Amino acid sequence: MSHSKEEHHCWNCGEHSASERAARSLFCQFCNTLQAPSPDYYRFFSLPKTLAIDDEALQQTFYQMSRLLHPDRYGRRHERERNYSLEATAILNDGYRVLKDPVRRAEYVLRENGFQVGEQRSNEVPPELLEEVFELNMMLDELKAGDDDVIPQLDEARDRFLAMLDSIDTELDEEFRSHDAADDDGARMASLTAIRGILHRRRYIRNLIDEVDRQLTSRNA
Amino acid sequence: MAYSDKVLDHYNNPRNVGSFDKKDPGIGTGLVGAPECGDVMKLQIKVNSDTGVIEDAKFKTFGCGSAIASSSLATEMLKGKTIDQALDIKNTEIVNELALPPVKIHCSVLAEDAIKAAISDYKAKNGAPAPAAAKA
Repeated sequence: MSHSKEEHHCWNCGEHSASERAARSLFCQFCNTLQAPSPDYYRFFSLPKTLAIDDEALQQTFYQMSRLLHPDRYGRRHERERNYSLEATAILNDGYRVLKDPVRRAEYVLRENGFQVGEQRSNEVPPELLEEVFELNMMLDELKAGDDDVIPQLDEARDRFLAMLDSIDTELDEEFRSHDAADDDGARMASLTAIRGILHRRRYIRNLIDEVDRQLTSRNA
Repeated sequence: MAYSDKVLDHYNNPRNVGSFDKKDPGIGTGLVGAPECGDVMKLQIKVNSDTGVIEDAKFKTFGCGSAIASSSLATEMLKGKTIDQALDIKNTEIVNELALPPVKIHCSVLAEDAIKAAISDYKAKNGAPAPAAAKA
């Protein structure tokens, strides 16, 4: 989203270019040497900073860059270029893992915008779910106590939570679009705040489902 | 983390675990959740409609030892109090009694919230503020 003027200045051949495209390219347009890779995933993949992205295009770029960055191509190159290629490969793989997954992607953008997110605890009980969560815990207790009669009920509860997950994903998708369509920073931040809330609920429900699965499997084992 | 003996005692021998029929008009139910650790706590009071005295209390908590101990203690504290007196119960009393460390104070806050939620549920069910006849 930033439009600060960047310039390409090749470390190898010393050539300059004021074009943004040259500045963003991994390779020098004059001598074709690998440049210092950007740690910014969006920039690395030459993507606009949108939350909705074209999965197929991303995958194409990933394959293409994997080929361009293959270590075999740098074995006999300048040490600096070799190091850049290793760095770039790491960014390529991490970035692809993050960008292809809507949840990780959103977390990445949130973090970049100063939001606290991620794997740290965020088990906040969504108030509208309290009743359901309580009932679920009761059933899990009964299961642990050896009462297999609750299994059908647990399966039903699991289905309900899975359906919730689906509708959360739809919600997330819609919020991605409104983030991408935001005209100003205020609207964009408001949208990111909403996204963080959605992710929060999503993680909570995901954890519940995982817990049900864990208990059901250990029961069947 | 080391739990205090009192926490362990309530955790190992929780008092008043169980539930009342929440549809019963004499029962107030509070269901609360902790933002910090995902605990879910249900606390119920059985109120004598003539005196406004809490005759019995039950709880069921899913969460850490401190959350269970806090709600267990809360049910003990509630019994015999009028609902007005019960509203004055502060989480700090629970903290002190159980010697909760700072990182577990939110568990006592949750218990206080559960008490308040149960009382307001009872009051809501019974229309007006319950009779304050039995002011001790």
